[in-house]
Amino acid sequence: MKVLIVEDEHILADGIANHLGKDGFLTEVVYTYDDAAEKIHLYSYDCVIVDINLPDGVGFNLVEALRTIRSTAGIITISARNAVEDKIKSLDIGSDDYLTKPFHLSELNARVKSLLRRRNFSGANEITFEEIRINFNSRKIYVHNQEVILSRKEYDLLMFFISNQDIALTKSSMAEHLWGDHIDSSDSFDILYSHIKNLRKKLADKGCTDYIQSIYGIGYKFGKP
Amino acid sequence: MKLLARTNRYYILFSVITFAIVTGSFYVVVEYLIYEEVDKRLEVERKDFEHFIETHGYWDESCYFVEDKIDLKAVANDLKRSPYFHDTVLYNRYSKEPDPFREYKFINQFSGQAYEVSIRKSLIESNQLLKFITTVMLIALGIGLLLLYWFQKTISQKIWRPFYDTLSKAKTFDVNQGKGLTLPRDDIHEFTELNSSLTKMTAKIADDYRNLKEFTENASHEIQTPLALINSRVEGLIQAKDMSDENMRWIQDIHESTMRLSRLNQALLLLTKIENGQFHDKEQVNVSRMVETRISEMEEIFTHKSISVEQKTGSPFIIGIHPVLAEVLVTNLLSNAVRHNLPQGGKLVVESTSVSLTVANTGPALTISADELFERFKKQNPGSGSLGLGLAIVKKICTAYQLDINYKFTSGLHSLLITRLQG
Repeated sequence: MKVLIVEDEHILADGIANHLGKDGFLTEVVYTYDDAAEKIHLYSYDCVIVDINLPDGVGFNLVEALRTIRSTAGIITISARNAVEDKIKSLDIGSDDYLTKPFHLSELNARVKSLLRRRNFSGANEITFEEIRINFNSRKIYVHNQEVILSRKEYDLLMFFISNQDIALTKSSMAEHLWGDHIDSSDSFDILYSHIKNLRKKLADKGCTDYIQSIYGIGYKFGKP
Repeated sequence: MKLLARTNRYYILFSVITFAIVTGSFYVVVEYLIYEEVDKRLEVERKDFEHFIETHGYWDESCYFVEDKIDLKAVANDLKRSPYFHDTVLYNRYSKEPDPFREYKFINQFSGQAYEVSIRKSLIESNQLLKFITTVMLIALGIGLLLLYWFQKTISQKIWRPFYDTLSKAKTFDVNQGKGLTLPRDDIHEFTELNSSLTKMTAKIADDYRNLKEFTENASHEIQTPLALINSRVEGLIQAKDMSDENMRWIQDIHESTMRLSRLNQALLLLTKIENGQFHDKEQVNVSRMVETRISEMEEIFTHKSISVEQKTGSPFIIGIHPVLAEVLVTNLLSNAVRHNLPQGGKLVVESTSVSLTVANTGPALTISADELFERFKKQNPGSGSLGLGLAIVKKICTAYQLDINYKFTSGLHSLLITRLQG
């Protein structure tokens, strides 16, 4: 999976590349509009992450260029301008998703994966992690081929874990993924805790190993123990 | 009242008064002249009468038979009275109708007897003349006034036209278009001055507005970017395996503080944007339905804090507002009602009518005064994770869209009532 990252802030761009790279993505980083324009015409990518504010151009134009050349790449725009107009405009001209800075890298990771899953219609519509099998078209979960009935939020939580394997996830990033930022952190952490408890219990009931590890003071990590 | 209507009104008032005064004085003058004339002729007739008496020593009424012109009445000899004129009414001998007469009375003595002599003259013709002259005068003056009125109206319309043009252009001025008005020069010095100062003023307003908008956007960008950097690095650190628990906690604190800083920045920017009127698109938004949706989304929190929700939806509360701000308004009101609710077993009541929306919740008594409720950074609980901007934003949104917001505490419920002020 090839991902192009267009972001003028070197530290952030490298941070994103590093984070996605850990998950097995082939990442390329460009810091300017011109370099990005050249790259998208020369190579094909599965996903392009575009910052709207670039020193020598506007990210919107890259999105339009990608759509003009009928690129199959999924596009995620990121912007520090929280203006509603930016969000609406990027989705209008063909972005698949939009993130406002600052965002959690784990959130970006989950969005990239979800985007690639949605775009990849021809391929498999199932992911398997050890004994857990997820069909994301029917939103069904199987453990040892037995269906586990999960609530919507529990499903979202599991998908977030699966998308961010072996990564320490903060409670706030998980809460934001599930509820956006319209919820008080103290409340959301409590609810998050009860969701995780339920998820663990439901998976364990079907004989699943507990892959959810608590990290003291931080949050959780999903992965083989 | 319109400018032209006002000048016209004064003009008409002034004209009518002038008209009345001129007509009145004209009438008085003409009447005076006629009386003068009649009185002179009566005096001449008196001389004729006296001459007749002197010549003949008696009075022969047959000489004057046409009208009741001269009348004699025997009076006491010693009666002294100076002659005088006065108006009287006599019945016409033939038509039996009262006719106006001018009468001249004086005392005359002949044949050893004193007589009060009344010489009269009919005023019918003079009155007709007076009437005729006055009528002609009235018509002429009236036509003159009408012409003047029409002339004045046309002239003022013509003269004030550039003013009205400027006014209609000024009305269409929209600060969001990013440029000032362009107004033409005019022959009239004052209008040229007005136009040039308006041009300058609107250009300045548009410029300031653009600068302000740019500043808020830049501030947003410039602050959010470093925050994003900090966060990405902190997230990297979180992944590190060789951190002590204490270091991890510090990192977590840094992480939470940056997120909080970012939320604070966004909230302040939102406030500024509302103040600047940068949300100019308006839609008819059904706020009641939005509340219902949000409540169903917040179900988990209500269950978690065992808050019982009561929705009394009468007619939907529909207002013209930017949809994003409506969303913010509803979210902030509901979050506020949850945050300041009782720790367990609280209540949340939402009531909507076509002109108002009430969000009420149970909760501990206010520690700040009700007036401070909508101020920035006034917090019920200073140590809480809340930014202290939620209700300030609500208040700003209400002010921006002509909504009134009031706090009330009745029967254990803190309620916030939003009412539509007009339309």
